[in-house]
Amino acid sequence: MNALASARAIIRAPRAKRERTWQDRYTLAFAIAVLGAVAAEPLSRAWNRIVAPAATTDPATIGTGLALVVLAYAGLIALARLVGPITVSPADAAWLVPSPLTRRAVLRPAALRLLVASVVAGVVLGVTVLTVLGVPDLATLRVAGAVLVAVAACVGGAATAVLAQRGDPESDRLGVALAALAALAIVAGLAAASGAALPWRSLLTALPRVPASVIVGVAVAACLAATGLAVRTWRALSRFPSRAVIASSARVGQATDAIVTLEPGLLTWIAEDNHWRARRLRSRPWPHLPAPLALAWVEARRLGRRPTRLAALLAAAAFPALAAVATGGITPPVAVALLAGALTAAASATAGARRDIENPTLIRLAGVSRQAARAARAIPPALLAGAWLAAALAALGLVGPGVAAGASWWAFVPLCAPPIAVAALRMAGRGPIDHSLPVLDTPGGPVPLGPLFWGVTGIDVAVLGCAPALTALLLQPAQTAGFLTAQAVATVLTVGAFLLRARRT
Amino acid sequence: MSEPIIDVRDLHVVLGANPVLRGVDLTVRQGEIVAVAGENGTGKSTLLRCLAGLRPPTSGEVSVFGTPPSDDAAFWRAVALVAAEPAWYPGLTVHEHVELIRVTHEPVDDAWPDVAQVLERCGLTERADAVPLTLSTGQRQRLCLASALVRPSRLLLLDEPEHGLDTAFRTRLAGILTEYARSGGTVVMASHDPGLIEATGARHTVLSSGRLAAGATR
Repeated sequence: MNALASARAIIRAPRAKRERTWQDRYTLAFAIAVLGAVAAEPLSRAWNRIVAPAATTDPATIGTGLALVVLAYAGLIALARLVGPITVSPADAAWLVPSPLTRRAVLRPAALRLLVASVVAGVVLGVTVLTVLGVPDLATLRVAGAVLVAVAACVGGAATAVLAQRGDPESDRLGVALAALAALAIVAGLAAASGAALPWRSLLTALPRVPASVIVGVAVAACLAATGLAVRTWRALSRFPSRAVIASSARVGQATDAIVTLEPGLLTWIAEDNHWRARRLRSRPWPHLPAPLALAWVEARRLGRRPTRLAALLAAAAFPALAAVATGGITPPVAVALLAGALTAAASATAGARRDIENPTLIRLAGVSRQAARAARAIPPALLAGAWLAAALAALGLVGPGVAAGASWWAFVPLCAPPIAVAALRMAGRGPIDHSLPVLDTPGGPVPLGPLFWGVTGIDVAVLGCAPALTALLLQPAQTAGFLTAQAVATVLTVGAFLLRARRT
Repeated sequence: MSEPIIDVRDLHVVLGANPVLRGVDLTVRQGEIVAVAGENGTGKSTLLRCLAGLRPPTSGEVSVFGTPPSDDAAFWRAVALVAAEPAWYPGLTVHEHVELIRVTHEPVDDAWPDVAQVLERCGLTERADAVPLTLSTGQRQRLCLASALVRPSRLLLLDEPEHGLDTAFRTRLAGILTEYARSGGTVVMASHDPGLIEATGARHTVLSSGRLAAGATR
């Protein structure tokens, strides 16, 4: 037994002492059987849909679908980069990484886990591509080709992320490349969705019937490239910097703690603190504003220092338009995308409020009344929500006439922004999950009320505060005056209740 | 003799089933520095929280500036509390945190030290562009003190201000607090550092089992 095996044997000893009983094995087998039974039907449906003759060769649908697949791919690699992607347990990071043990052997389980995850993600993405393109002929070859290319792309992307993990400059370059890829996918998706006469339209329509030789060629090239990157990564593991592994493991350990203790709010704190801890800033003079507005300026200063987050928010404004094309008009998913996007934009400007609610030490030193501070702090999220809604509406207008077109729709933007800001501040102030609340037995299974209430806090105000606008959006009435009036009333009521509550607390 | 800034009479605080403070009497006048010492868990922090209006007494009376302390803006414009570490605003530097506290109290009397002076006195000039989370424990404690000292106040409530500070800065802190008291401010601090208490010339009181030691009160 070598040194690493001995160390792992000691680490696993407490778990090894507990023998698996027949109940454990039965539970595992039963869980697998239930999972298989549940997944069989949707998988079979998806497969039938894939192998059915192609229903459409519409370049708009193909272009939008492929753009969403590329976006998902960029998101997966970005997630891998955020996680590490090479990461070990906090205990291994503390004991095994800074030790004389062979680095590659210590990191091998993490690398294998990443490889398996990449293959699974690749299979899912490959199948998704096939659902977009359809399989008109050569079923086996097309399915194998799409899955192989997608798996190669995921393995290659993960390997690149591992290589970039070794140093900050490489990691930053990968971040820029992923942002560029996502931006390109959004622009291409919007262009395809708008039905513009683009040079690659003929290419898109030809994609479902690519000849066999091209499929084989692309698949072989992709596999060779991915293998090359994987081998390079494997070699790099022997001298992988310990600080990179320790940092990523600490991040994942903190995130795991937050998940295990069911405290998702903690994740936001950890992510924010990790981001700013690694940045070099230059102090700038604080603008001379009335005291409450000076507090609200915290958000402007912070957002100004995260232009990539603003750019990502702006890019995300294209999602409702893409969803409108994908679902054939203003459907409930489009309304959900609009509300979720505006709420996300507003929530990105509530960090200061969130910190002061959870720890009011600084606000006491500032000596500002809570009511004035709360009112001032609603301004940044309201402005962001309004700007995001305007951008999303403009993108919807690009998709084509009849989809939320017309000047009257723009009037909803300033009316919806304040309730969304109030909702974002409500989310910021919801605190930890109340795990003392009971678990409700429903026909669909037990529902823990604590996480449920925590999850809907904020969303409730956004939905109620924007109900008239959402209804108008889904009904698409010829005259919107009545809905506008109702929205104005809802806005006044929401903001009024917010200010009244601020005075009482 | 001037009117008392703080007047505590027969203060009792019970947390759960545990009596933490048992009949505490304390009077503090303007310009005084009062140090409350005592073992861990004897109620020093609870006493400070009562003075800050953050912990309602179970019984007894607490008066600050002639009225019961209230957790509102008017109270916090006169009182600066340094206790647990604050939640620093993400994306703001050390200088910007201190300046933010300063601008929320403008206009500030010219005699009051400005941001650069306070940072210099607290030994933070070289870390002015740092994010607070990257500071050491002692530097973050200096930043807490700087945030309290950069704004006008009439009463400083300090819970273990020496926490994490090196010996040299503790001496400097004693000078800062003495100067604050000389200019008319009042200081009440809970401390475990006899050196700091002595250097400030503070009136020394000892809390033991929830009671102020005999001879330490009015």
